[in-house]
Amino acid sequence: MSVDTSSLAAPSLFVGDVTLRKLDDDIYRPLESFPTIRWWLAIAITGTLAAIFVLCAAYTVVRGIGVWGNNVPVAWAFDIVNFVFWIGIGHAGTLISAILFLFRQRWRTGIARFAEAMTVFAVICALQFPLLHTGRPWLAMFWLVPYPNGQGIYPNFRSPLEWDVFAVSTYGLVSAMFWFTGLLPDLATARDRAVHPFRKLVYGILSLGWKGSNRAWSHYEKAYLLFAGLSTPLVLSVHSIVSFDFAVSVIPGWHTTIFPPYFVAGAVFSGFAMVATLIIIMRKMFRLQHLVTDNHLELMNKIIIATSLMVGYAYAIELFIAWYGGVSYERYAFLNRALGPFAWAYWIMVTCNVLVPQLLWFKKVRRTVLLMYPIVLLVNVGMWFERFVIIVTSLHRDFLPSSWGDYKPTLIDFGLLVGSFGVFLTLMLLFCRFLPTIAATELKVILSESQSQGGGHE
Amino acid sequence: MTQDNVARVHSHETMHRLKSAALPSHGENLTSPDEMTRRDAIRILMGASSALALGLSGCERKPKREIVSRVAGPEYQMPGKALYYSSTWMEGPYPYGLIIKTVDGRPIKIEGNPDHPINRGTTSAAMQASVLSLYDPDRLRGPSGGGSPIGWEAVDQRVSEALRGASSAVLLTRANLGPTERELVRKFLSVAPHTRHFVHEVVHDGPRRAALGKIYGAVGEFLPRFDRARVILSLDSDFLGTDGAVLENIRLFTEGRRVNDAEHRRADISRLYVAEGAMTVTGSNADHRIRLRPSAMRRLASSLVRAIEGDAAELNALGAESGVSPALLTALVDDLRRNRGGALVVAGPHLPEADHAAVAILNDILRAPGNTLEWNTVLPSLKVDDPAEVEAVFERGVDVAIMLDTNPVYDWPGKDFASLLSRARLTVGHGQYLDETLAACSLALPSNHNLESWNDAEPRAGVMSICQPVIAPLFNTRQPAESLLTWTKALAAEGDAIRSFEDWHDYLRSRWGEGSATAAGGGENETKQRWEDALRAGGLFQAVREAPFPELNRAAAEDMARAELRSGGLDVVFLPHHAVYDGRFANNGWLQELPDPISKVVWDNAASVSLQTAQRLKAVEGDRVEIKVGDRSVVLPILVQPGMADGVVALTLGHGRTAGGKILGEAAGANVSRLLGQTAQIAPRLVTEVQLTRTGESQSLVRTQTEFSMHDRPIVLDGTLAEYREDAGFVQGKRHIPEPVTMFPPYDYSKGHKWGMAIDLSSCVGCNACVTACQAENNIPIVGREQCAVGREMHWIRIDRYLTGDAENPTVHQQPMLCQHCDNAPCESVCPVNATTHSPEGLNEMVYNRCVGTRYCSNNCPYKVRRFNFLRYQEAQLRDPVQELVFNPQVTVRGVGVMEKCTFCVQRINEGKYHAKDKGKAVEDGAIQTACQQACPAQAITFGDVNDPNSRIARMNASKRAFFVLEEYNVKPNVAYLARVRNLNPALAGDKKESHHG
Repeated sequence: MSVDTSSLAAPSLFVGDVTLRKLDDDIYRPLESFPTIRWWLAIAITGTLAAIFVLCAAYTVVRGIGVWGNNVPVAWAFDIVNFVFWIGIGHAGTLISAILFLFRQRWRTGIARFAEAMTVFAVICALQFPLLHTGRPWLAMFWLVPYPNGQGIYPNFRSPLEWDVFAVSTYGLVSAMFWFTGLLPDLATARDRAVHPFRKLVYGILSLGWKGSNRAWSHYEKAYLLFAGLSTPLVLSVHSIVSFDFAVSVIPGWHTTIFPPYFVAGAVFSGFAMVATLIIIMRKMFRLQHLVTDNHLELMNKIIIATSLMVGYAYAIELFIAWYGGVSYERYAFLNRALGPFAWAYWIMVTCNVLVPQLLWFKKVRRTVLLMYPIVLLVNVGMWFERFVIIVTSLHRDFLPSSWGDYKPTLIDFGLLVGSFGVFLTLMLLFCRFLPTIAATELKVILSESQSQGGGHE
Repeated sequence: MTQDNVARVHSHETMHRLKSAALPSHGENLTSPDEMTRRDAIRILMGASSALALGLSGCERKPKREIVSRVAGPEYQMPGKALYYSSTWMEGPYPYGLIIKTVDGRPIKIEGNPDHPINRGTTSAAMQASVLSLYDPDRLRGPSGGGSPIGWEAVDQRVSEALRGASSAVLLTRANLGPTERELVRKFLSVAPHTRHFVHEVVHDGPRRAALGKIYGAVGEFLPRFDRARVILSLDSDFLGTDGAVLENIRLFTEGRRVNDAEHRRADISRLYVAEGAMTVTGSNADHRIRLRPSAMRRLASSLVRAIEGDAAELNALGAESGVSPALLTALVDDLRRNRGGALVVAGPHLPEADHAAVAILNDILRAPGNTLEWNTVLPSLKVDDPAEVEAVFERGVDVAIMLDTNPVYDWPGKDFASLLSRARLTVGHGQYLDETLAACSLALPSNHNLESWNDAEPRAGVMSICQPVIAPLFNTRQPAESLLTWTKALAAEGDAIRSFEDWHDYLRSRWGEGSATAAGGGENETKQRWEDALRAGGLFQAVREAPFPELNRAAAEDMARAELRSGGLDVVFLPHHAVYDGRFANNGWLQELPDPISKVVWDNAASVSLQTAQRLKAVEGDRVEIKVGDRSVVLPILVQPGMADGVVALTLGHGRTAGGKILGEAAGANVSRLLGQTAQIAPRLVTEVQLTRTGESQSLVRTQTEFSMHDRPIVLDGTLAEYREDAGFVQGKRHIPEPVTMFPPYDYSKGHKWGMAIDLSSCVGCNACVTACQAENNIPIVGREQCAVGREMHWIRIDRYLTGDAENPTVHQQPMLCQHCDNAPCESVCPVNATTHSPEGLNEMVYNRCVGTRYCSNNCPYKVRRFNFLRYQEAQLRDPVQELVFNPQVTVRGVGVMEKCTFCVQRINEGKYHAKDKGKAVEDGAIQTACQQACPAQAITFGDVNDPNSRIARMNASKRAFFVLEEYNVKPNVAYLARVRNLNPALAGDKKESHHG
């Protein structure tokens, strides 16, 4: 039975004849069949990249930060760019799983699991950088954490970097638990479908003895709601706090009150772009187009253009305030962004984040994978450059012209950037292989509702 | 047994983390390692281990001969407590007095001798860097013949035999031999009758000396009294950089520029006009700069004479031809004319003889002699010989060639010296490194370092300076004078008095004994006492009786000044490098990494040209050009230097060394002295016929500062003397003092000490001495050319240089920039681990142990004075048993991944506080000096307790010229800058842009 696409505001979330049986089969097939050659090829590539990451990281720890392009004045560069980039990527997942859940956006179910997984893996990637970027990570890993110690010294609670420790670790933990809680019923399904005793054992352990009893469902629902409630402020707080790293400083181009909302909007923007980038491949790879439909993509594209406008507004207001504020250092910092030696990065940022996404005003573009795919890819590029522009161009020319400098990344910098994608994608591929990529249980609820009511709306 | 054992002993200690140079108390056994037997070595090792076992820090490497420390009373050793010795710096072109700080027998820091009348306690960068060269692992460690090690006895035998049988021998030395060394050379020549002595230097003032000799009919030199002058005109003389007694010049010059707020209405300071081709430190301090080719200097001097006497036609013609504003020339003439008796003209040592004659006439009509010029009859260095004459001697055939501490194969201004040498039967090179010359010699003999040497110097009448060693030779080395004495003794006839001297120390002392004995009489005890007093004081400094100024033979001078002027398309001037000088310090990393005061280039030399000249050559910065003089050429990158005269190429000597160490191997650059000594030159270092062609290649020049515009920011404030007379607080209107709003409760600093610094920009000439002094005091690493290229130099203090006004002839602003120890330090609040915190005494402290290296503090520092250990910069030095000895034991050596920055020399502050506490007194003002302050030849830096209302720092802070950099950000910096007062000629006030910001 096909879904009535005209019913109220809810667009169709399934394509074709989807039964509960078929739904389970489609979702669990990748877990239960031997991986395709395509999967092996993909993981061979991403695994190589992940290995590059490990090698570059080890090299950095052994030799020192000097193997990167960082210098004085540009003491932060790719390291913190990558950190903020990956933290931003994670935001879509939390937004989808928490905020859209609370707002009862049913279409989220098709992409929620995938986005949440992305969040967890993005946070894992992001966490590598604050630790790796320190000169002495073997000490930083302890001393940044407040615990009673023989030295009698606590971390400096006035430092935005210390706030980051709390913000990001909370975010990582909550995201991981939220994701895992959501996975429980589906893990139980995987256990129940498993034939091989070993698989049964592993999924059995992972599903924590889920029986599907009313009590369990009731607890589950409550826990899920709680997590959604907990995560919601995190969507706003994490990137706000990350933006404090810059906003709280005195550096022209960093010291800006607009940063918290601007960073959050940017994070959601980049996060959705990344979800779209990956899910388009995923649904093709595992033949799930009927579950992750063009309607899903269109809705995501709408969020992308909305956040693109917010980000564009932030760019414009920054320039305005720099002029209107009348502080010459500030004015120079922004003129330097747009016209200085790193102007190319600024204009890549503006083009990818503000100009190109305007194409999404066209319905045809929003719904045609081949048209939208380059756009979301460019948004990813643009958002990486946004952080590059903020960090590198502000630092390389600050107050005293005598200390101005240049910045050139090294091969190791690129190795870590590309390598972090390797780590991320490898984790995504392993996830696709071993865990249900779509929240089957939740989808079943919608499916049965839509079948019984003839529409996706409560 | 060689010195390797010593090294091994040291490495044992390193393993035991014993930082002191602990050696067994039987120190005398170590004094000459070539005499060590196996038994000695075992005893040393046992001694070392027993010293370790007993927890003693052992004894120091005392020189064999008695040396005398500055402390009164018996000389004893307290582990970790510093002893100070006076000595003399003989390595550079001009001898200065030193105080050497030794800890546990290791010299670790050099200061100027405050009693020395010439440098008065101040130092230059090269003097500061001397300790690093002492512990240079690339130094030669023993004599070798034909590449294989030999003993000193064998050396002496071979040399004296060769000399005995020689029908022609050459002794080649540096120019700055001390009086006793000169005496010894004379003695040597008398016993080796076929030997001729020649003096070789590339950088010397030969033409000036020759001209003065001819026109005054007496041997002597001008001693410019910059403090007495009201108007100073420099014709291509970098007297604040490399010409003459620079430390004294800077002191006198800044004395003449000092202002006092209380008397600001009557403030009168000297006015400096500089006519120059290149852009030098002196030019950067000029009130008015005239861009003029060096080959036109004589015309300027002569036409000034005529203009002062009433005929300005030629001066106007010169101005019109060289594009110098007529108003400026007229104002200059008026200024000079009005200030007869208070005017002073100095001319660069590289200018031809005739120019100096013209300048002498100019000085004469300005009545400078006796007023702003003194006459010194005792010259600090020997006359340098004509290279052609030396070449001729070699070409006639030389049996033995001896070169003492000189490197002619590298910098001979003439024919290929290596091939000249190859004609000699025995070639003997004495030097600290296996440099170009020693590598070409049949005998390569290692020299002592200055800090291992006995010597004396007499730079002018009444100043007898002694150089005493403060450490026994680290390696199996010998002083060239010792070698020369040994050979003299071997050649001398039986019964010759010279044979009675045991060694060079004996010889030197006896000569001093003679001098003082005749002067004061007395017995042996008195002589000994006088000798010890002299050692303690660093020499004999008597009130200088001013020599009467000889009469100028004006006719002869005019004759000489009329000599034909030769001028080609381009002037090429060869200047000594600001740090490595003529290349002798090329293996010193501190000096290689010291930014050029003008271009900020490190580890390299370049062909500096003006923008217009570059355009004419169709070259841009970094383009490599072939510079061809006669039939020789070198290739160097173009450096576009604002302020240079058009048609001038300035080349710096001292780079392009090819042998002698690892450090100089890391430096880039080319040896430009190869171009010298051909017919195209009009003076020893001035060439006018040259061809420049682009090679099509380009190269990046590594600079530590790349942006020289101030971007209209209120960073360095200055004003004119007129403004200052009007209002001593002329700068106050330009300040932006914020409302004192802060989130954090303000800390009460009013109790106890509150440390602060003030830097008088009116005094600072930008000489860089502070940078190296800081490097030496605070164990600051060098990072190498590649790391500098990516912006990772480690200096805690840097000299910022900005250019304002005319792009072709800019006004230069120098500003030493260091940690400002802000009360509201932005670095402190962002450190996540509390590794940088504020002390109750107002210091911004860096806790290295706690630092995890997030570099957030550096990002948030508005002054960007924090430095990060991006790589293991110190590791190699720490592992090297010789190199590690240079470290100051009071300062932590920082490891990889740690942030560092200026501490206001917190170790000195604490030491000063302990001393005061020991004596039960309050810390005296001035008792604590930071390293930068102590070195500063201009005394531009003041440090002290701002809570003490009577302190110098409090007075400086209260100056109406005081301002703080970026104070509008409410970071409350603690380094006050006193605005520079420029003495612009009021007649030119409109001609020159004044302050860049209103």
